[in-house]
Amino acid sequence: MENRAVLLPQTNRDDWGENMMHARTLTIRIMRYNPAEPETKPYLQDFQLTEEPGMTLFVVLNKLREEQDPTLRFDFVCRAAICGSCGMLVNGKPTLACKTLTKDLPETTTLLPLPVFKLIGDLSVDTGVWFRDVSLRTESWIHTDTVFDPDAEEERMDNDVAQKIYEAERCIECGCCIGGCATANIKPNFIGAAGVNRVARFMLDPRDQRTDREYLELVGTDDGVFGCVGLMACDDNCPVGIPLRDQLAYVRRKMAQSAWNLGKTK
Amino acid sequence: MQLQKAMAHNPRMDVIVEGIQMVSGLLLVVFLWTHMLFVAAIWLGVNAFNTLAHFMDVFGLLPATVVFLILVIGAHIGAVIRRVPRQWQEQKILWRHAKLIHHSDTWSWLFQAITGTALLALAIVHMAVVTYGGIDANLSSSRVHGGFLVFYAVLLLLSEYHASVGLYRVFVKWGWVDRHSLKRVLTVVSLLTVVIGAVTLWIFYVLGANA
Repeated sequence: MENRAVLLPQTNRDDWGENMMHARTLTIRIMRYNPAEPETKPYLQDFQLTEEPGMTLFVVLNKLREEQDPTLRFDFVCRAAICGSCGMLVNGKPTLACKTLTKDLPETTTLLPLPVFKLIGDLSVDTGVWFRDVSLRTESWIHTDTVFDPDAEEERMDNDVAQKIYEAERCIECGCCIGGCATANIKPNFIGAAGVNRVARFMLDPRDQRTDREYLELVGTDDGVFGCVGLMACDDNCPVGIPLRDQLAYVRRKMAQSAWNLGKTK
Repeated sequence: MQLQKAMAHNPRMDVIVEGIQMVSGLLLVVFLWTHMLFVAAIWLGVNAFNTLAHFMDVFGLLPATVVFLILVIGAHIGAVIRRVPRQWQEQKILWRHAKLIHHSDTWSWLFQAITGTALLALAIVHMAVVTYGGIDANLSSSRVHGGFLVFYAVLLLLSEYHASVGLYRVFVKWGWVDRHSLKRVLTVVSLLTVVIGAVTLWIFYVLGANA
């Protein structure tokens, strides 16, 4: 036993020993609701399990489903903060379950599905319908008259611009910024930080030929960037750390600028 | 696009209203802080306060200020009213949401709306009293000692809170400065103005008690 333990990296072995000695019993309080059975009101159900070293909520929920309740509904695909499927309210904070370690949580943790999105059941929501709608409304594709020439060498992009575009593109569409946004919770057409961030990406892209005025019509509205009242729950909760406040402010200033220019040309 | 939207289409509308909200808010903050400094003239004595009041009287600054306030507060209310949820259902969602996500900036927005509504009522009373009574150290001290102390203390706290949160939001939304240092600076400034106002009130109270 001693020999085998030595093979483990020093830190891991210590962690393991520490946790085995005082393994906590976690209480996971999960919202249960099935929209197909509206007569049963949403309720919180308590599950108990023993904490393990390096345990994430991904592990917790899968264990609970395998060992305690096969009807428990939640979404996971990648378990590595890339797919954006497992956004939920963890003790009220919108975040990804797969990157939430139980060691950072209290003994009792409440899990609720993300608000705003269509509830499929328990912790599972459909973010796809919402994001598709916003993509269509903000016309999230490159608008250009340039005819594609497959033989021509690809045009080079300035590295700084490419980096800025990439910053916005890192969005995994988990919906944490939307679920945490009070405005998105009461205004169904508000495109939220995810929507504004998406538009920022196209504004930065030199290949997109949309004019400032077109962008103004698109996002310089109350459903766009001017619907934001500056609560910054998006900026505080983005699990992949996109600087959403900067993106919102960038689009806001840009839209104010184009409104100003439009006023001058009138 | 629907007919009504096509007929009343102005792509700059939402920017303009947002601009009115911001500029009127900034003007009110400037007014509030100037006001706090002006009434703090009582720190230098009854004569200093009355001289300043007399100066304002001579140049017609009192009625000018009242007109300014009616216009600017009116514009501010007109612009911010679109943000306040009017439907009961929306109110319920907002309160539940704030309780759910434990996020201080979301709570401060609810308080911003509440203090704003309360300020409207308090400011009307305050302006009416000052307009009809005029500005004079004796009047103020007897008023503060004669039961208005709590009224002014509440007005002071609510207005400084509302101004502080409002300024914070303006800077957060337009993105000129770092959020967290902004919060610290504004907290210090607001505490300072509250202290200035509280000391002023205390001086008036003592003057009233000794009169």
